[in-house]
Amino acid sequence: MDRRNFLKIIGSGVAGAATGNLLTPGRTLAKEGTSAKELYGILVDTTRCIGCRRCELGCAEVNGLPIPDISESKNENLLKTIRKTSDAQYTIINRYETEKGTIFVPKRCMHCNQPGCVAACLVKAMRKRPSGHVTWDLNCIGCRLCMISCPFDIPKFEYNKAMPRIQKCNLCYDRYNNGVLPACVEVCPTQALMFGSRRQILDEGKRRIAANPDKYIEHIYGEYEVGGTSHLYISSVPFEQIGFRKDLGTVAYPEYSTGFLYAVPFIFVLWPIVMLGMNRATKKSKEDEGHHEEKGKH
Amino acid sequence: MAGEKLETVEIVKEKDESPNIKNLGDFWNFLKKELIPRGNIGTPFNVISLPIMLLGYVFIVLRLAYGLGKPVTNLNQEYPWGLWIGFDVVTGVAFAGGAYVLCFIVYVLRAEKYHPIIRATVLNGFLAYLFYAGAIVLDIGRWWNIYNPMVGNNFGVNAVMFLVAWHFFLYMIAALIEFSPTIAEWLGMKRLRKILGAMTLGAVIFGITLSTLHQSGLGALMMMAKSKIHPLWFTEFIPILYFVSSIFAGLSLVIFEGSISHKVFGPQIDEEHHKSYDDIVIGLARICAVAMFGYFFLKAILLVHEHALPYLNSTMGFWYLFEVIGFVLVPCFMFVSGAQQKNLSTIKFAAILTMLGIILNRLNYTFIAYNWFVPLSEKYWPAPMELIITASIILTEIWAFRWMVNRMPVLRKPPAWAIEKH
Amino acid sequence: MNRKLIFFLVSIAYLILISYGLYSVYTVEATLRVKEPPKIKPENKIAIARTEIFGKLERPQVIFNHGKHEEAFKKEGCNTCHPEKDGQILFDFPKTVKKKGKTAVMNAYHDQCIDCHKKSSSENKKTGPVNCGDCHKEKEKAIQVKYPVFEFDFYVHDKHVKKLKEKIGKDDCGLCHHSYDINEEDETLALVYEKGTEESCYYCHEFGKKRGPELTAITTVAAKKGLDIRSASHQQCLNCHLKYKEEYLKKGEKEACPTECSKCHTGKYRTVAELEKIVRPDRDQKDKPFIDIENSKMKGVTFDHKSHEANSKTCRSCHHETLNACDTCHSLTGKPEGNGINVANAYHHVFSEHSCAGCHNKKKEEKKCAGCHHFIPAMDVETMNPKKETCTACHSGKKDQIAMPKPLSTAGLNKDKVKKEVEIKVLEKEFEPSKFPHLDIIDKLVKVSNDSKMATYFHGNLQTLCEGCHHRSIAQAEAQKDTPPNCKNCHMTAYDGQNLNRTRLLSAYHRQCMGCHDKMGIEKGSSVRFKEGDRCGTCHKKKVGGPTEITHIKNQNVAKQNKNNILNVWRPK
Repeated sequence: MDRRNFLKIIGSGVAGAATGNLLTPGRTLAKEGTSAKELYGILVDTTRCIGCRRCELGCAEVNGLPIPDISESKNENLLKTIRKTSDAQYTIINRYETEKGTIFVPKRCMHCNQPGCVAACLVKAMRKRPSGHVTWDLNCIGCRLCMISCPFDIPKFEYNKAMPRIQKCNLCYDRYNNGVLPACVEVCPTQALMFGSRRQILDEGKRRIAANPDKYIEHIYGEYEVGGTSHLYISSVPFEQIGFRKDLGTVAYPEYSTGFLYAVPFIFVLWPIVMLGMNRATKKSKEDEGHHEEKGKH
Repeated sequence: MAGEKLETVEIVKEKDESPNIKNLGDFWNFLKKELIPRGNIGTPFNVISLPIMLLGYVFIVLRLAYGLGKPVTNLNQEYPWGLWIGFDVVTGVAFAGGAYVLCFIVYVLRAEKYHPIIRATVLNGFLAYLFYAGAIVLDIGRWWNIYNPMVGNNFGVNAVMFLVAWHFFLYMIAALIEFSPTIAEWLGMKRLRKILGAMTLGAVIFGITLSTLHQSGLGALMMMAKSKIHPLWFTEFIPILYFVSSIFAGLSLVIFEGSISHKVFGPQIDEEHHKSYDDIVIGLARICAVAMFGYFFLKAILLVHEHALPYLNSTMGFWYLFEVIGFVLVPCFMFVSGAQQKNLSTIKFAAILTMLGIILNRLNYTFIAYNWFVPLSEKYWPAPMELIITASIILTEIWAFRWMVNRMPVLRKPPAWAIEKH
Repeated sequence: MNRKLIFFLVSIAYLILISYGLYSVYTVEATLRVKEPPKIKPENKIAIARTEIFGKLERPQVIFNHGKHEEAFKKEGCNTCHPEKDGQILFDFPKTVKKKGKTAVMNAYHDQCIDCHKKSSSENKKTGPVNCGDCHKEKEKAIQVKYPVFEFDFYVHDKHVKKLKEKIGKDDCGLCHHSYDINEEDETLALVYEKGTEESCYYCHEFGKKRGPELTAITTVAAKKGLDIRSASHQQCLNCHLKYKEEYLKKGEKEACPTECSKCHTGKYRTVAELEKIVRPDRDQKDKPFIDIENSKMKGVTFDHKSHEANSKTCRSCHHETLNACDTCHSLTGKPEGNGINVANAYHHVFSEHSCAGCHNKKKEEKKCAGCHHFIPAMDVETMNPKKETCTACHSGKKDQIAMPKPLSTAGLNKDKVKKEVEIKVLEKEFEPSKFPHLDIIDKLVKVSNDSKMATYFHGNLQTLCEGCHHRSIAQAEAQKDTPPNCKNCHMTAYDGQNLNRTRLLSAYHRQCMGCHDKMGIEKGSSVRFKEGDRCGTCHKKKVGGPTEITHIKNQNVAKQNKNNILNVWRPK
């Protein structure tokens, strides 16, 4: 082996190891180093929601979305079908008929503690802020992997625009920075939505359940689901009856891809070394090599 | 290729006909000369493909103007990824896996038997990645930000997509380096050719490493869709399944594309190559069969591991069994039987079946078994414009391939001064 | 050529399978919806499945038309099909089962049914099927046949007592009533009757409920004999009915002694109001017993047993184990007969179904009461210090005296302090101020309270009603002040992030007002009212052209002067 070959071999090995280290996910769990002390969220008490849809109105007005018509006659027909959030509506109300009567449930981004959408975003357009807000930024490339990675199917894409955006609730991050409540919380007439630190609203949810055992079922949705979310729901009927999935598990979604990501540096280092070895091992003697050169095969 | 004349001169006495390019002006003149179409323009292939391609380009402009909504694509909030990502990118990359497998066989394991087809395969791989990168740019909604994953300070290093994006980019460069000796021969740059030839092994090793990671990476993208992919398809080992299936997907494409190339570019190919071709195909068929058998076993083990056996007795179960038995097990046996009996038509048929199976598999993960419980009214199937644009991308790639094969020493022998050292 | 043909056919096959596969996969959602099994009207039919014996059925269940068979064998009698024992027909089926186990039972069914059908067929009579599929019909696989439970309420009991007296000239409760002597070794002598110990059948024949030690033993015996409430009732009732049906039919009473399923299992039930006037069976119970527990710390309670009788459908609502006084089993410190539950909890446990406090608590969930009581937490005697008045309402210590408070009246109210109409404009922005009909509501609540004896007894005075809305005000303190007990005294306008339990003023108003209307079922002003008209406008009209709440919020984005106010409130340090 001459010097040139030797350098080539070492070079490719180092390059492999270096790139492997560069791409090693140091923080694969989508947790940012937080300087903030608390994660903020909203407690949604579905026994208090009266389905007036003023939260939809407030959200639309604050975010420059089309203002929905929330008159009575409109509501009646609209709430007959189960709706989903859309690229023009960050939050919607759904109506469910259950054994405990009519229940209204607001649906919006859950602001997970470890969001799948944040882990999926390759340009950090989706970010989990230190205060718990999961926000979207304009450096997005529109690959829509966040839509695939969200267990709640929340991010919505503006397909019909030439300059599309990903639309979802951002817990009114701008308003938070100005020291005011999210629009939906501000407008809700029955305080079905309660804003506070996750610790506080979790305590309040547990207090309400403990104080009224016949009124609530003993579960806070979002406490542990998908590793915990900042939107917590309490309800008087089992959550499957009001449109929540119970099969999402308690594993945070980014953890599902950590297995693969942890394997990356190993492959980056081992593969070149193994292949180089194989290449050297299968090398024929010098005479045959010369024979090859003469024939001029390609 | 109709109308193409090739001089058959003995190698030793061949005149050095390579172009003498000393500066940019020379290069430009040479390129202009090469761009002149050779041969018959009015072939059936041209007549059919050209209108589709032009229509596709028009639709691409429409897509850029109007966005991704209807009528350009049928994508909706339930199905963010459709034909372009599912077929053009994910399946296309699986098919381009032939390049890294064959490079591994020829350059690392030094199996000289497959040397004749290596350049065509690498060219295919390079073009595939080039065009599928284009398809990506077309599919992502905010394409003007495409440079963001490459430059800047907002690297989402935790994202599998980030890894996939970078690997695409780096693999294109690696494939280009692998193919560049051919370009150098075409341009007659002897010194460059020597340098590039020496870089081949490094590029190959780099390329295989990258391929392993991004073939499996494409599978890892779907890991966070656990709640939406049917339990028969979803497993923690999707990346491994994707990687193993890319082996036989790529080789099946090599078989398929090779059989067409041999018909179309037949006159370019010399006697020796023609003779060895059958052996090559049979060898590839054997490799495919082994890989497919392994893949089938993996699938069976994972069924048990994920406790998914009860799901087999359902509509989705039958679809799964159809995919695995009809498009993995059956072609596997066909490959084995074809290789045993040295019957090329069986092998070619099996290759087509395998390719269909891979398309089916990747599309299952993208929009068939993904969100499988959604009502029919919200389901996705490709819109006509999507199909035309896809067709035009593939046809453009074929045209580029044809252009390069006709002018560069891909299938024919390289000039005498080109010495391969490996 | 052959090979080419094979490839072509295989390709076609694959194409067909792909198309069919894609179609079925795309339409799979429609198959995911679970169909509800159809329910049919019983109409004297019985679903024979016996899944407790057969487990998962190999063949579909049999929908058996009992009515038809009853009609056909009117003359021959029920013992054509049903076994007899000691002159009584046991309404089990089949008549004889030779061995234990699935096969033996199946064979018994088949032998009895099919043999009879074959016999009738050979006699050229119209008869039932003999082929498997004609009884085990596939389309009847999922049908559910459910008979509504028959309630042997006091009306029916009274009728039976009267009819019996009519027939034999005296009361003989032993014809139906008996008790089981668990200590008797000879089983044939275990069933005894002792006058004055008549109780409900449900005590011994209802399984699955939590019972004291004695009843647990008895119910175990009953279960072993297969005498659940269904078997026991059918055996007891039907035999007697069969015996005397003819007699009453001759007298012209066609509806007497019913034997058809749907004649008893009507699904119609009498209400407490309908049963109020029926005389309850006499067991020497006192009208107003004086409950005084020895060594207890509280004074005795004179309990109006008679009026409570009239307000319950069965005695078992309170006498859940035996028809005796509570302190028979529940002592001061608890004993085994009472499962360790002491007498204080027996009377006062707020969430029990059988205690005084528990039943009263349940009553507060009624529409008329829930408006206020839904929001007032149930008082647990042990954990929250009760007011003296709450206890002395019952614990008077006086025998045969129940101090009934006077009905409430608003006559003595100071109309200057207790306003007729209150204008709420503290939150005025998007809507006009709300004009709240304060006195009208008080009048309405007074009427609701006076209409209920229990409410009058416990409410005592008018101030109790005020606390329904003014829930944290102390009435005596308020009476001394000139300023009214406004909601805004405690509930802030701004969002209180430190005390999430106390809602802000906007929500306090909406939840209190709309909550009361919701619970009391008052449509106007309730939260669920999706008919035409402006829901919000019921209480406060929207301002025309005025600033909306929403634009106020939008302005907050730029109005940083609000920052400090709200920041300190809800952002914990």
